[in-house]
Amino acid sequence: MSKLNPTDLQGFVLRGYNMPFARYCFLHFENPTRTRELLGRLLSLVTTGQLWDEKPKSTVNIAFTFQGLAALHLPLATLNTFPVEFQEGMKARSRILGDTGVNSVEHWEDLWREGHVHAWLGINGLSPEDVTTQFEAISALMTETGGAHCLGFQDAASLFEDGAFNAKEHFGYTDGFGNPDYVDICRKAQNGQGKLDKDGKWTPLATGELLLGYADEAGELPVAPVPHLLASNGTFMVYRKLHQNVGTFRAFLNKWSVLYGAGDDYAKEKLASKFIGRWRNGTPTESSPDAPDPDILQKPDESTDFKYGNDPTGARCPLGAHIRRVHPRDSFGFEGRLINRRRISRRGLPYGPLAPAEDPTTPEEAAQLDAVDRGVIFMALNANLARQFEFVQQQWIAYGNDAHLGNEKDPVMGSHGEGEKFVVQGDADPSNPPFVCSTLPNFVELRGGEYFFVPSITAIGMISKELVDPR
Amino acid sequence: MANQNGSIYGLTLLCPILNDENASPSHDLQIREYLSNLTADSESPFAVAPGTHLARLVVMDDVIYVGMPACEEHLKSKYLVLESNFDGDLDNYLQGLATTIPEHLDAIWSHCNGYPGSADKAKFVQYMKNCQLETTFLFAAVNDKTVTQTLAALQTQRAVAHFVAEHQGVDSAQTQRDFIEFLKILDATPPSKPAMNAQPRNIKTGGRNE
Amino acid sequence: MSNINGKVYAMNAITPMRPWKTWILRLIFFVLAKVKSKQQDLINLSFIEFARWVIIPRNRFPFLGDTQKRESLKYDYLLFFSNFNGTWNQYIDAFSAVLSDGLNLIWRWSEKFPGAVPVTPFKDYIARVQFDTDYYYTAYPEATANDVKSAHIVQQELNKFRVQGTTCTPEQFQRTYLEFLIAVQAHLGSTGEAPMVS
Repeated sequence: MSKLNPTDLQGFVLRGYNMPFARYCFLHFENPTRTRELLGRLLSLVTTGQLWDEKPKSTVNIAFTFQGLAALHLPLATLNTFPVEFQEGMKARSRILGDTGVNSVEHWEDLWREGHVHAWLGINGLSPEDVTTQFEAISALMTETGGAHCLGFQDAASLFEDGAFNAKEHFGYTDGFGNPDYVDICRKAQNGQGKLDKDGKWTPLATGELLLGYADEAGELPVAPVPHLLASNGTFMVYRKLHQNVGTFRAFLNKWSVLYGAGDDYAKEKLASKFIGRWRNGTPTESSPDAPDPDILQKPDESTDFKYGNDPTGARCPLGAHIRRVHPRDSFGFEGRLINRRRISRRGLPYGPLAPAEDPTTPEEAAQLDAVDRGVIFMALNANLARQFEFVQQQWIAYGNDAHLGNEKDPVMGSHGEGEKFVVQGDADPSNPPFVCSTLPNFVELRGGEYFFVPSITAIGMISKELVDPR
Repeated sequence: MANQNGSIYGLTLLCPILNDENASPSHDLQIREYLSNLTADSESPFAVAPGTHLARLVVMDDVIYVGMPACEEHLKSKYLVLESNFDGDLDNYLQGLATTIPEHLDAIWSHCNGYPGSADKAKFVQYMKNCQLETTFLFAAVNDKTVTQTLAALQTQRAVAHFVAEHQGVDSAQTQRDFIEFLKILDATPPSKPAMNAQPRNIKTGGRNE
Repeated sequence: MSNINGKVYAMNAITPMRPWKTWILRLIFFVLAKVKSKQQDLINLSFIEFARWVIIPRNRFPFLGDTQKRESLKYDYLLFFSNFNGTWNQYIDAFSAVLSDGLNLIWRWSEKFPGAVPVTPFKDYIARVQFDTDYYYTAYPEATANDVKSAHIVQQELNKFRVQGTTCTPEQFQRTYLEFLIAVQAHLGSTGEAPMVS
């Protein structure tokens, strides 16, 4: 297979829909015959990758857990060809992922602890009513066929500030710069989003890093379940509900910016920029270390077109900053070839109410801010969960050896035990001092999640008609 | 000679294991059993004997058949493989093993052909050399530091990281006084033992939060 | 049996070679040892603590007499021992991605070697010719090659700084201490437990 067929792909695999509202429903199957009937009826509702003449009011997509595929009675010979990490599921992989302490399974929501989720059904919409209308239609279909029932759902929405939706998350950072470009996937290629070639130029990644059935960066077809027709044009999805402790985060910045600089807004924003490697409006510190560019969002190329080769000590972007960890670009030498098979595509939206603008002044106020159910729904797509998402999570977020940082974790995303630190590298300029944040709290807490297989339209049809032949 | 890279010596031994049909369990299994119970922490024989950075012991059952059209063939003996990366000179190293961990050596190598025991050091050294294979190519990421120097450096790194974190926002006169005190304590602290777990905050540095 | 101790993995592999090819491989290793620039990729890869290749000619397996029978073999053998940081998959992925030419040069003389690219047949081959470690020791289980290198840099910088740092005035100290911090700031990573690999 070489040329991409958008009508066979689920649309959100190709691109984010850029719709501000979403409901992610979690289904349980009870009877394979009835579930197959449901899938057959759902098929016409599933949003494909075909370009829109006019943007629809809502979209529908579906993905399955290993338990879900087993409940659909796929042949055992096929089930066994799915990768081990997918068969085990995220809960069983928690030690490998470093989901310990406050992130461990015992702190997850019941839905994820119990492990009855068989499918994810994602509805995106232009308005809350559009989402609800679609949800009600699908609920009726589930009741009518008896093919599934909804164990629960998660609503999510873009943050709404100053009269408009934006791309921020609850800590105030503009999010969503990091998605890779892939060959033949319809976005316009952008410097910094693909891989580096031998001359140091950016080119798109091989399609097989995202989609099964296409050549990948190792020069082969990705390892995939059989039959090929079940796997091709499909991918794997990670779903993680990440709670954000907004009070802790704001209190931490206020406290440490006093030691880092003058404790004023500039020191606070600069320290915040060092955590992520971007100022809160999205400006990369690598290209603009002293101040954010107020017009960065109008300059997409500048927001992603940079390398770390001239900053080996991390004086501009710290070695442990979030974006330098999860997309190290040329940091490890070899023209970036050590990282090209470790990239993931992000989807998902924030959830929960926007926090009030006022910073907490007491620990109690901070705790109140923390207690509100808000964060991001992190969804990631990749051809190989173990090689891509799990590797990034284990080696680059929960560990620091590749970045020459020993055991240090991602300052924002890491699951921190007592006394874990983040070093902000600096230089002789007094406004950019070397600095150590020596007692990192947990800014983010995992509330649950799972691994899903996202089949092609053809594969959903095969499953619904019981036509999966393992050979 | 390729057995040496900088100050690191790479020793490779293949010691033929006794093939005694009357032995039960067989000698290779007895070696495996002994090794499976041997601790790898600071009580390890390689931690007790001086100079080993990394070492492994492996029972090699046979060569491996890679499939047609290659030929299938087999070894007549099983071999005990010792792969060790240590500081300095081979004779000194082998003598050091015989001096500090004779009981472990005898328990393991008594299952090997022609092993003379460790009591007679000259014979022991000669036996080991008879089993030695010349290393064709040896790579060492760090080839100019001893085990003791590396353990001391790791301890220094932990202490310095802690000192730095504790002295942010402290005026320079105080930091300097504390630094002088810090060096005294660091110099007086014995290097940690090999194969010990790290102690994250074993040196008090008298800084801001203490 | 354990191939893993703390942050290091012990890999053992053995592959058969036709004896006439052994001489070519010896020549390649001879050049590799003499031309240090050829080792640079191995150094830059930075997660190998120690590694070695050992050629055993078919008639040179140690023979101690006594009750031991002499080996009679058609192939010479190439033994490979590596002490690396990280996971098995990570190691082979990296080898395949950035060192494929070097690996092909070393292993193409071995029977049935499929080449280091693409990676899946290469992994299958390594898995087939790998044999497991019974006992694995490291003097610093909580440190990787990177950690060790960083620690030596901190030690060296401290040795340089200590004389001036203890004798200068507090005003001078402020400046020299900052210089010291800048010199060590990228090398202060903490050491500790390795991540779970499986």
